[in-house]
Amino acid sequence: MNIKYDLSTLGHEHAAEEAYKVRLQKTNDTLAVQAKRVCCLGAPALLLATALSGCAHAPPRADTAAYEAYQQQNDPIEPTNRFFYAVNDKIDRYAFKPVAQGYVAITTQGVRNHVGYFITNIGEPARMVNFMFEGKSRDAGTSLVRFVVNSTIGIGGIFDPATALGYQEQDTDFGMTLAEWGVAEGPYLYLPVFGPSGARDVWNIPVEFYATPMELAPESAALNDFGWAQTGLHLINTRAEYIQPIDQIRATALDPYATFRSLYRQSRASELQQINQRNVLTQPDWVWPAH
Amino acid sequence: MYFRRFILGAVAAAPLLAAMAGAAQAQTVAPDAARAFIQQSGQQLVSIVNSSATQAQKADQLRDLVNRIVAVDQVGDYVLGRYLNALTPQQHQQFQTLFHQLLSYNITYQIKAYQGISFTVNGAAQQGNDMVVDTTITSPGKQPADVGWAVDEIDGSPKIVDVIVAGTSLRITTRNDYAGVITDHGGQVSALLDAMQGQITRIANAQ
Repeated sequence: MNIKYDLSTLGHEHAAEEAYKVRLQKTNDTLAVQAKRVCCLGAPALLLATALSGCAHAPPRADTAAYEAYQQQNDPIEPTNRFFYAVNDKIDRYAFKPVAQGYVAITTQGVRNHVGYFITNIGEPARMVNFMFEGKSRDAGTSLVRFVVNSTIGIGGIFDPATALGYQEQDTDFGMTLAEWGVAEGPYLYLPVFGPSGARDVWNIPVEFYATPMELAPESAALNDFGWAQTGLHLINTRAEYIQPIDQIRATALDPYATFRSLYRQSRASELQQINQRNVLTQPDWVWPAH
Repeated sequence: MYFRRFILGAVAAAPLLAAMAGAAQAQTVAPDAARAFIQQSGQQLVSIVNSSATQAQKADQLRDLVNRIVAVDQVGDYVLGRYLNALTPQQHQQFQTLFHQLLSYNITYQIKAYQGISFTVNGAAQQGNDMVVDTTITSPGKQPADVGWAVDEIDGSPKIVDVIVAGTSLRITTRNDYAGVITDHGGQVSALLDAMQGQITRIANAQ
């Protein structure tokens, strides 16, 4: 049996094989990214659909006080929300909390603070964009300065020198942007894994996914891994800070679900109020000097 | 990060979690008087938790202090909200007793969280009918938390009626917590009393 090798085509086959490998790698990356996108974009729609399957029974209108309280509570799918709360509670007790406790055992408060600064810094561009959409240009400028200063002098965001320079962190997100545009908070939602949210705030999840500096960088496996690692670290670091307060609420509240709902609603309303109260002049003092 | 600050502040203010509520017939306190009251109360609290007494002794001292500086009865009635009228006099009495007991347990639960804290009193400003005194509470290894204390004049002396952490009122949180129990049991107020009793029994068994 004669086997003839055509040297001229061998190189092409090799090149084709390499190209196939690259394509395969890219396909894998794309699949991973697509999976994340489906999760993030599909989550709100899926949850809204699922939520409709379990609705609370409204009291009769004749019972005015009860009916008003029901309307004010604005939790029409409470049975479904309570189900997801119970699911999250189990996941947390057996997975997140033990991991967070282990994380606390091997890190110091200082390390956790720096991880917190790092995570906050990654979120600054998204805050800047949201502040711009909200028409809060001074706040957007603060976020920009914070990101530039902390990413450079603060060594990639591990330190927070911007605060010492007078640029303190100011929080916002897409839910706040929608609120500024006049969108009401809507019914309360308790999401699997993500926790307390609402019909307005749920849209923050897909937006936060896209509004990171990593989305601007060319796609690569290393960047994907970094993204997952950063998300995991974010979850664990944040959960580690909540160990004590969450334990406390579980131990002292008669109805932890209602307590978390109340805390979430109040803290969101307060955050919106703070953004509006801080509505400083949107142009520098030197443009229109005070008379 | 905002929520983190809020939750850290909530921990700092936790011993009074179950107690914070407003009083209907309260008088507004002058800003300086409210600041002086919070300064004095805070110093007493810090000296108790940082003393060398046993945990049990500290718990007793804290209970006495809280009964002196917090309008616990008025707080209880606020927390009941619209359900206050649904209670019989006996049930109301039972509720107040349970409410005082739960507050005591919550204080005991939180003593360790208070170890090593210090605080500074900042400004005071009127919000609604209350005079709210702003403080910064510092705990070892944690970021400072801003906590507001709503003060009203009850029976001629200033009393704390609410704790506000990053704009979040603990009296409203507790009211919603209790209302959650009642609505979850078809509007039965007796379910709240059962839940409070159950909680007390559970904590007593655990100790």
